[in-house]
Amino acid sequence: MDEAAGSPAVSRRIAPQRASLRPWLLLMPLLVFLAAFFLVPLAQVAMMSVTEPEFGFGHYASIATDGFYLRVLADTFATALLVATCCLVLGFPLAYAMAAASPNMAAAMMIVVTMSFWTSFLVRTYAWMVLLGRSGPIAALLDWIGLPHGELLFTRFSSTIAMTHILLPYMVVSLYAVLRKIEPSLLRSAASLGASPTSVLRHVVLPLAAPGVVNGLTLVFVLCLGFYVTPILLGSPREQMVAGVIGQQIEEFLNFGEASALAVVLLASTLIVLGLYHRRFGLDKLWG
Amino acid sequence: MSAPYLELRGLGKSYDGRTRALDNVSLTAAKGEFITFLGPSGSGKTTTLMLVAGFESASEGDILIEGRSIGRVPPHKRGIGVVFQNYALFPHRAAAENVAFPLLMRKMPKAQAMAKAAEMLGLVGLERFGGRYPREMSGGQQQRVALARALVFDPALLLLDEPLGALDKNLREQMQIEIKAVQRRLGVTTIFVTHDQSEAMAMSDRIVVFDGGRIQQVGAPLDIYRYPSSSFVARFVGDSNILAARLTDPAGGQAEIAGIGTVRVPALPAARAGDAIELLLRPECLKPGSGLDNAARLTVDVIVHFGDSALVTGHAGGTPLRARLEGLAAQGISAGDTLPLSWATSSSHVIGRDAAG
Amino acid sequence: MRGLLLSLGAVVLAFIAAPLLIVVPMSFSSAASLEFPPPGWTTAYYGAFFGDARWTQPTINSILIALAVAVLTMAMVTPATFALVRHRFAGKSAVNLLLMLPLAVPHIVIAIGYYAYLSDLRLLQTFPGVILAHTALSVPMAFLVLSASLKGFDRSLERAAMSLGASPAATFRHVTLPVLWPGFAAAALFAFIQSFDETVVALFVSGRDSMTLPRKMFDSIRTTADPVIAVVSTLLFFTVAALVILPMLWRSFSRSRS
Repeated sequence: MDEAAGSPAVSRRIAPQRASLRPWLLLMPLLVFLAAFFLVPLAQVAMMSVTEPEFGFGHYASIATDGFYLRVLADTFATALLVATCCLVLGFPLAYAMAAASPNMAAAMMIVVTMSFWTSFLVRTYAWMVLLGRSGPIAALLDWIGLPHGELLFTRFSSTIAMTHILLPYMVVSLYAVLRKIEPSLLRSAASLGASPTSVLRHVVLPLAAPGVVNGLTLVFVLCLGFYVTPILLGSPREQMVAGVIGQQIEEFLNFGEASALAVVLLASTLIVLGLYHRRFGLDKLWG
Repeated sequence: MSAPYLELRGLGKSYDGRTRALDNVSLTAAKGEFITFLGPSGSGKTTTLMLVAGFESASEGDILIEGRSIGRVPPHKRGIGVVFQNYALFPHRAAAENVAFPLLMRKMPKAQAMAKAAEMLGLVGLERFGGRYPREMSGGQQQRVALARALVFDPALLLLDEPLGALDKNLREQMQIEIKAVQRRLGVTTIFVTHDQSEAMAMSDRIVVFDGGRIQQVGAPLDIYRYPSSSFVARFVGDSNILAARLTDPAGGQAEIAGIGTVRVPALPAARAGDAIELLLRPECLKPGSGLDNAARLTVDVIVHFGDSALVTGHAGGTPLRARLEGLAAQGISAGDTLPLSWATSSSHVIGRDAAG
Repeated sequence: MRGLLLSLGAVVLAFIAAPLLIVVPMSFSSAASLEFPPPGWTTAYYGAFFGDARWTQPTINSILIALAVAVLTMAMVTPATFALVRHRFAGKSAVNLLLMLPLAVPHIVIAIGYYAYLSDLRLLQTFPGVILAHTALSVPMAFLVLSASLKGFDRSLERAAMSLGASPAATFRHVTLPVLWPGFAAAALFAFIQSFDETVVALFVSGRDSMTLPRKMFDSIRTTADPVIAVVSTLLFFTVAALVILPMLWRSFSRSRS
């Protein structure tokens, strides 16, 4: 026997799995921060909706009964649905073309989409003011063709088209993510089995693309529901979206209670849509 | 008695506190020995390696090098070189910088470290590749850089975790020889983990066979091959016939096998007549003709020719049997033939019984 | 069918690109209103942008705020991401959802909350107020980017470094950080841009002294349609172009080198 005999190591229990304190220590700063600077202000909105100016659910009652608020909410949902549909209709051919293009071509197309995504939406909103303005190129084109047109700017049309343009990159990226994974050999084998190009699209491509479609629609719909800046700058003052009305309540009337109640309704709508998505697909997939 | 160079004492590991990934693993190794941990995936061989390297901590037991416990020493202070399955070369550093890394961590001056790294790269045949980045090298070259990096700081121990799995067959055999040569030359005590029994046979001084989180057998490659202690080891190491037999005369070495009849087996004085035994008969021990101690008639089902040898599978009176014959001797045999075979009693082994010789 | 889809795709691509490109000629237009095509050319509005503190100050403010947001976000998100990617613990999926929450809440909603909350804290219309709000909003994207890159990280690199004698700190400094730096850089960039572009919260909580560029642009578009907007838009457009295209060039350059 030798120095090893002095070691009490035989069958000594070495701590099994270290207690799970470490992850919480690492998370602590962020969790405290988010609690203090996100959850509390968010809770304050809910609080204000039932305490400003006095305690009660009066704001919710008036939202549920007031024709103006109901119309704004209905308009908002309708617009979000319209924009999401437009994004799908426009986004699908582009994503399909990107998936079909050569890698270099697809990368070049992706650059355009990415640039649009990263360019401030104020810039894109401003660009639409130029395009749709009274002395802009689209009005000039319509005049030249001889098509009668009213005011293009500050209408539901202008805010819808601008929001579609702004949100389109989300849709394209969602669709491209699924379409690029479809093997060309799959399409060829479908064709060799006697499927016409149209039925290949219908029976092979579209079902495989479905997750991307749902993803894109959800993303665009939810983002559109809460859109504030573009409808205010480009839309018709008579057909506001709910975010704009919330801002107006604060800016013009300092009516925090009413604004907060509307905000809670908007938040709840958003969370319901996201919650449905989460139950079916898992929220972590939404942003890729 | 002096302490062994490396000792594993009753290592146990449980991830959930109930099921054991590793149970009572004890082993000693002499300095300079090349030991292979062999076993299927999930057998505990890699877990044991992780415990020795210090990447995971044991639930029970201890690890000692030259009598000193390293069970609680953090991995970066253990001085153990590890070569990983995927090599784990630092992608942002050139080959020479990878090899110099452990020296720099030990505060060696940069110039000296780079010189020593270059020397080490020379030892593995990559003297001109020091400036290459890992992504610019082939699998075999990356493998050698990883080996050089694990050896450059004169580690107390070298651990290799299935390092050849990603290489193709020819390169793998070449690397086996090279690793073995470098290991010999530096005399570093080495633990090699693999699930490939031929690799284990080719490289090791001793093989440790793992299964179900336990050590099944420890021994020199040929001993494990000839005298497996369990049917698991017999099946896992090499090709085998395992025949169920019943002892008729233990001391005299006689047993009865269904379909073959009475055969001679190594004597088992401690056993009793009527005991069921498993007789291991390696396919290459079966020879054509009836010149050896025991005979059987094989009805051929399938014959596969490999050129230098041929594998014949069939049955003898209902007992399945495989025989590996020399290529020329197997010429002309076809399915449906009946083939007289015989084997020497000394080439057979009763599994799980001490009957060496 | 296929041909139709492809040509439609090209049209949509033009639909995406045209509004981005139109701001460039607009910035050199001599017209004081939104007129296209421009009746004449001038660089006067570039001079107006760079020479006017009402424009340069918000630009500087936005850059400072976004830098602070990027630093603060990374300081908190980095350890949190390591905890979430590398550890298993009870409550993990709840924490995951919490970190994503700022992305799910419409900005107008939280903007009201910040307006009330920051004024309670006497931080309304101050730099710290904007920075704190923007940091919360940039957490999800930074977390998504960083965790994607951390999930792709081969942990045997760290084990290798440790076995070679590197302490945990040295392993982080010499291996983890250098290998993951593109992920860290991308996450920080996302945080920076998130803050730099953020408009709605800034409208409610930034003040005269802490006015951000998007707020200045919003006010300007809403009230006067100042042609300087086109200059700012063009500058932002080229900044984004550089940010998007340079990394791509760099990647194809380093690929061709190997």
